[in-house]
Parts: sequence; C-alpha cells; structure tokens
Amino acid sequence: MKILTTVKKVVDVELNMHVKDGAIVEDGLQYVINAWDENAVETSVRLKENNGAETTLVSIGGGDCTDMIRRCYAMGIENGIHIDDPALTKADSSIYAKVLQKVYEKGDYDLIITGKQSQDTDSGQTGIILAEYLGLPCVSNVIDLEVTDDQHIKVSRSGDAGTEIIELALPAVIAVDVSINEPRLPQMRGIMMAKRKKIKTMDLAALGTSSDEIGAAAPKSEIAEFMASESRKSGQKFEGDAAEITAQVVALLANEAKVI
Amino acid sequence: MAKVLVIADIKQGMLKGGTAELLSKAKAIGAETAVAAIGSNIESLTPDLVNAGSDTQYIADDPGLELFSAGPYASCVVDAAKQFGANLIWFAFSENGKAVAPRVAAQLDAACATEITDVILEGDQIEVIRPAITNKVMQRVKINTEQLVAVVRAGAFEAAEGITGTENVVKLSIPAADLKAVIKEILTDASGEIDLADADVVISVGRGAKDQAGVDLVKELADDLSAGFGSSRAMVDGGFMAHNKQVGQTGKIVAPTLYMAIGISGAIQHLAGMTGSKVILAVNKDPESPIFNVADYGIVGDLFEVVPILREEIKKIRS
Repeated sequence: MKILTTVKKVVDVELNMHVKDGAIVEDGLQYVINAWDENAVETSVRLKENNGAETTLVSIGGGDCTDMIRRCYAMGIENGIHIDDPALTKADSSIYAKVLQKVYEKGDYDLIITGKQSQDTDSGQTGIILAEYLGLPCVSNVIDLEVTDDQHIKVSRSGDAGTEIIELALPAVIAVDVSINEPRLPQMRGIMMAKRKKIKTMDLAALGTSSDEIGAAAPKSEIAEFMASESRKSGQKFEGDAAEITAQVVALLANEAKVI
Repeated sequence: MAKVLVIADIKQGMLKGGTAELLSKAKAIGAETAVAAIGSNIESLTPDLVNAGSDTQYIADDPGLELFSAGPYASCVVDAAKQFGANLIWFAFSENGKAVAPRVAAQLDAACATEITDVILEGDQIEVIRPAITNKVMQRVKINTEQLVAVVRAGAFEAAEGITGTENVVKLSIPAADLKAVIKEILTDASGEIDLADADVVISVGRGAKDQAGVDLVKELADDLSAGFGSSRAMVDGGFMAHNKQVGQTGKIVAPTLYMAIGISGAIQHLAGMTGSKVILAVNKDPESPIFNVADYGIVGDLFEVVPILREEIKKIRS
C-alpha cells in the first residue's frame, strides 16, 4: 500500500496573538506542525509498521519546512515532498486541493491521509474537496482505522448519530481526528537518520502544472482582514465555604442571569 | 435577490432548531428561502419545514437515505441548489454538514466557508465573518464566486418570532448509494440522551472528576436539569466519555443558554467550543484555571464537594 499524508506548518495556537491594521502581528509567533496532521503522520507510520505500507508526505507552503518534515521523518515517514511556489500565497482550500491532486496523480497512491482541519484556518475542507476532484471515496472525522484486505479499509467516523462504521474501497481519502491515536515522540536514532534524508522541493512547474491551470490567481475566497476576537470578560469568582458560595451562585443564576 | 437554500438539520426524525435559525437569518437579509430535507420517513416533517420559514421544500425521502452517507446527501443538495438557483447554501453546524458542504462546493465549483458567524451582502458581493486559529482571531472573508456553500456556527443566528413560510413541496430524485464508501452500522448513543447541539443547558465534566465515580456524580446534576452531558478531551482520552460528547475545537461546538464546566481547567481547544454560551458557570479547585477567565460565575472548590450542594440548592430554588 502506498500512502500519501498531507502536513501543514501552522501558527502555534498556544501563544498569544495580536491583530493590528487587519493583520496578525508576526512578532513573537512560532510555527509548528498542525496538530491533526501529526495524527495523520502517526496513522501512516502505524500502517507502515503493521501492514507494510510505503509512506510519503507532502507539505504545501512558503518558507522553511525542513524542521517539520525532518520531525515527520524521525517519526517514521520515508519520503517528503515540499511544494513551494510564490503563486500559492493566496491559495484557498480549493487551490490546495488542486495542487494535491497533481501530487497524487504523479504517485499512484492507494490512500491519502489528511488531518481533519488545520489549526490556522479551522476550515476542514481540503481533504474532502481533493477527494471530489479525484473522484475518490472519502470519510472525514475518522477516529479508528483497520485494513480489511488489499483493496479495502474499515474506518470509524464520529458522526452526529454516533460512531459510524464505514467500509472504504481503495484508493480513498480519509481525514483523521486527533482522537485516532497518540502521536509518538521522535527518538534519537530517528532524529539522527532524519538529518541525512532528502526533501524533494518542487514548484508548480516541477509538478507539471502552472498557476493558470490550478487557478492560483483567482481564489474562490480570500481573507480580507483579521479582527481581534471578541473575548468574554471574566465575571464573579467565589472562594470560601463551599455550601455558602454555592448557594450564592445558584441564587445569582436564578435571579440575576435568570437561567435556572 | 439572494436565494438561500438551508439544509434541514434532522436528527432521529426530528427537525432541529438550527434550521429555523438559518431560515430566519435568510429572511432577515431579504432572501427567498428554500429548505432541502434528506432522510427516510421524513415527509411528515413538511409542516415543520414550512413553519421554520421555508417557501419551497425540496425533499429526498427514501429508506436508502436512512443512514447518513456524505456522497448521496451531497448529490441531493446539489440537485436542490440547481433547481432552486440558490446562491447561498447553508448548513447548520453538525458533523454531517461539515462532511457534506465541501463536497457540494466542489461539485458546484463554488466557494466554501465553515464556522461562519455572519454574512454580509452588498449587491452581488458576498462576505462572511468567521473565527479562525482556534478562536484566537476573527476573519472577514471575501467570496469571489457567485455561490457560497457555508456551515454556520452554532448559536450564530437567532430564530425570529412568528416566522413562517409557504408549502411548496418538490420531490428530489433519489441518488444511488455510494458503493465505494459503504456504511455498515452506526453505534448509537444510549437512547433518551439529550443532544449536546441543541440542549438549553450543557454540563461538561473534566479531569477534575478523576474517574467514573466522578463522572457519574456530575451526570446526576445533568440529569436533574435535563441538560446535555459533555466532556473535555481528557475524559474522552481517558475512556470515561464517548467521542461525540467532547466539547471543543475538535469536538462539538455548543452555544447553550447555560454552560457548566465542572472540573475543567479550560484549555483553549475547549474554550473554542463553548465561549458562545450565554452564561457560563465554572467549578474548579484551582483559582488560577483559565476557565475562570471566561466564566460569568466561578466557584473555586472541589467538585466532589460542590456538585452535591449545587444539586440541592438548584432543587430548592426551583421548588
């Protein structure tokens, strides 16, 4: 089985963030692998270990992704492709999906694993749109996976009515949730080996396409501006005798907030 | 004139409140409204669909559509959108909506936006407002296509009083099943449990509850109040709560009238799923817990001590 895993370098959401003049202040930001993508990498590596899969990752984005890709190598990914092209600065989910479609078509993969969303946009669209473009079956919000045979996998999806058990015919696309596994920490041996591994960096031309073909200059949606988030104010905090303060708060819920 | 197609949010044969909220917003912006209802044995919901504010009802009713399957559901929505000539296609927040919306957008070659909290129309130009980066910022997003497929964030729009529609049922043809993604079964929650998505009161339990006994204690409070019973990620990972009970960025986003966070410290991923609530009560041992930064009322104390008192006091005040 050949697996393609998508990873994205995104802003670290644990750090403070400020908005000025419609943009996010870059100062003090740090970039990390998208949390859900780390689970996608772990899913791939487990399939490699347990079922003998060949693992390739692809990351789209400007700037240096070396550290992130090396980290994935250290976790067990075998091949890495970095797509970097100035034409992609305004890319939306649909353009990302077009680029990934080109990567897929060059590789003859059986399974594409994406994180269910990226923590910078929180959109959760790319993997699903990619599957539509490729005409492949797709399940999102996957929380468990099992290989049934050469041509099928069985996945669990956390859905509205409960956990759905779905049998997928390969090739297929799955978008995984963080609860699918606990990503491993890279070990020293893997980190050392990862340093010697190559990363294949390509622009759109090397990928056999162009800005025009994937519509990079005309995104379907674009961010006009960022705004500060309306944060809630902290209210009243009560400390002291549990019986006393609890009674006080219940009275406030009933008489002031009028919610019970 | 804008034409809004709202995808009916149907769970266990019932029309959920989100549908009327979205249709109310559509009417408020002066749009023509239609609803698409997909499922099995749902024709009896027609009066509800009309009362929710739709002027046309596209209905796909077939036993083959009983279990959710994103492919055929998307085909139905695309069919309805084309027949209606919709330029705005809205899903209420749900896992199913999130799975179907990008498919519909890809098929219509339209833009897609999830988690939107507002829509701005100026002539033909569509813009949306949405949170991003785990709720740390908001974005204003310009839509460059004539059509937009969107998933609306829970609690973003309010249902208008006295809204109504007109009955005009159009039956959709039934798409073939997706033979490449076959749904085998759904392991459902225990019957009678309250759906987190539209509960008026949601009570969530976190790491402070320690174990099953702690979870059961908080569950009793939820039962008293007929509240939805949710969880932080820690309790899901610990195996004490089901996946679909997780409130937060990666789970359910809720916006009830009253949210009680019991023994939850308030990691940003959890806060992203509940800060849209009207009133928040937090109970936590640690006075420095970030949950207190968003709580309207905070009780610093051990939940094992506080929850039984909370139950008693609520019973007293209600009688």
